[in-house]
Amino acid sequence: MLQTMKHYSKVSLAHLRIAVLTVMEYPANMLGWLLSNPIQFILGFATIKFVVEEFGSVCGWGYGQLAFLYGISVISHALSMIFFVQGWFMGYYVIEGDFDRYLLRPMSVLYQFCFTKFNLVGITDLIPGICVFVYGCLQIDYVWTLKNTIYILVTLVGATFIRGGIYLIIGSSSFWTKSINDFGGYTQELFDKTTMYPISMYPESFQFVLTYLLPIGWVSFYPTAELLGIPNGRFAWDGAVWMTLVVGIIVFVAAAIIFKCSLKRYESAGN
Amino acid sequence: MLWEKYKSTMKITVNEKCSSAYRKSDHMIQVKNLKKNYVIAKKEKGLGGAIKSLVKSEKQTIEAVKDISFQIAKGEIVAFLGPNGAGKSTTVKMMSGILTPTSGKIFINGKEPYQNRKEVVKDLGVVFGQRTQLNWDLRLGESFELLRHVYQIDKETYEQNLQVMDNILGISEIIDIPVRQLSLGQRMRGDLVAAMLHSPSVLFLDEPTIGLDVDGKYAIRKFIKEINRVKGTTVILTTHDLGDVQELCKRLIIINHGTIIEDGPLEELVERIAPYKDLVVEFYDEEAVEHPKAQLHKQKGNVAKYRFQKADITAAQLIQEISEKKSIKDVAIEEVTIDDIIRIAYHRE
Repeated sequence: MLQTMKHYSKVSLAHLRIAVLTVMEYPANMLGWLLSNPIQFILGFATIKFVVEEFGSVCGWGYGQLAFLYGISVISHALSMIFFVQGWFMGYYVIEGDFDRYLLRPMSVLYQFCFTKFNLVGITDLIPGICVFVYGCLQIDYVWTLKNTIYILVTLVGATFIRGGIYLIIGSSSFWTKSINDFGGYTQELFDKTTMYPISMYPESFQFVLTYLLPIGWVSFYPTAELLGIPNGRFAWDGAVWMTLVVGIIVFVAAAIIFKCSLKRYESAGN
Repeated sequence: MLWEKYKSTMKITVNEKCSSAYRKSDHMIQVKNLKKNYVIAKKEKGLGGAIKSLVKSEKQTIEAVKDISFQIAKGEIVAFLGPNGAGKSTTVKMMSGILTPTSGKIFINGKEPYQNRKEVVKDLGVVFGQRTQLNWDLRLGESFELLRHVYQIDKETYEQNLQVMDNILGISEIIDIPVRQLSLGQRMRGDLVAAMLHSPSVLFLDEPTIGLDVDGKYAIRKFIKEINRVKGTTVILTTHDLGDVQELCKRLIIINHGTIIEDGPLEELVERIAPYKDLVVEFYDEEAVEHPKAQLHKQKGNVAKYRFQKADITAAQLIQEISEKKSIKDVAIEEVTIDDIIRIAYHRE
């Protein structure tokens, strides 16, 4: 077990090195993303600023608190882009037979799929995320005690796994439909609309769905609301920060099981 | 010098592996009653058909591989031949653990690939001629370095293996070039090295010489021969290039419509399908002579073509006997080409 973990982490490090080398091979590509991605998120945040200035607050959330929420959302988005963006493109892997190579190597296929392809372009999302988050922290005078720091990290880990798990589950459908379903755009739209703003602004039925059926509420809304002590709707749980981690693990384990079952239907590609 | 040293160290490890394999089974690879079905949705023509298949989809089962059995001993080089879509690649993919068989059994070194995938693939090298496992963007060496970690090859063995393969394929000339800038032949050499870095005892090659020029093909064939001779690697290759078969394989398995239609040495197949030769004789006039052991197959002007069974008479004897009856101007012996033989085998039911 320890041996396997050592082996796997070495392979991941080797792939990380490859990812860095690849970025250095095409610096202009990275630069392009570095210009376009931050603008997209900063502009998104500017819209919130406008709304708050017009209406004072959103469902009891002030300006700084919204920035904090937005920051958590974008940072977890960026992390999920670095580790799990392949889930968006699983259809291509299925149709073009790209799982062949993973199946031929003496390592877990899910591990290889998630942790041997690092998308360093995701860092360009991380930068605006951190900027808005730090801005929010300053606005509300967030106190950086050890406990609070751990809470933030736990939230981000949980949130990243929830996102990654959902990408994987959606992606796994390609094994069944045998078509290239590029869900990336829809997925991002869905997550943007439900994690960047408080979900308490939506009808209760919708909140219920986002809490229990499609647990996106846990990505940013519930943990942030608890951290900042803001009322968080009818379906709130105590200990939302730890719940985020628990939900993240549950979603990811479910995704792993679904992926494994789906992989049995893999048919490679004809030459 | 290093080569000799390498050979002696390899022999020890090969023998060790060999004995443990033999304990489990007599053969490196055993395939029993292997079947693979694909289910595809039947689509009808036009919008009406599309709606119909949406409401009630008609499923059709395609038997890509139906009931294949064979055994391959350690150290054999075996070619899989067959027309496109015959089931060669499907069989190779099942043997390498990529596809799950519908029914039947496969044992590689005594283990079933779809049940012990990780265990089996550790000892497997696979090259798909039409796609690469090399990292497109980076220098070739980076891909090798990565595989060193994936297969947990220690640094010393890694350097040694690389050295050996450099001797055969001249890989050090191209190791610092980005893979995207390699020619197809160079890339193929890279892929072969990548597949053999961890010294697997079984090597699957799916159309390894496809699209290569004569030099490229020569290099690949030389590599396969050397690796088989030195390391005792069992090699299974699918190909459409009969040169590969003639150069490399003592045994050939022809697959068509998902079943094995031939399995044996090439010479035996030639013997069975074309046990005859043609003798073309040019006389001084248009009158050909008859011979009891040769059939006058064709005649055009003063050139006559005799077909004779190799078992009945030798070409030399036939020439002599004909020339005794009538003077001969020129002779030529025609053998059926291997292409023709394979084509006959494909179309025979």
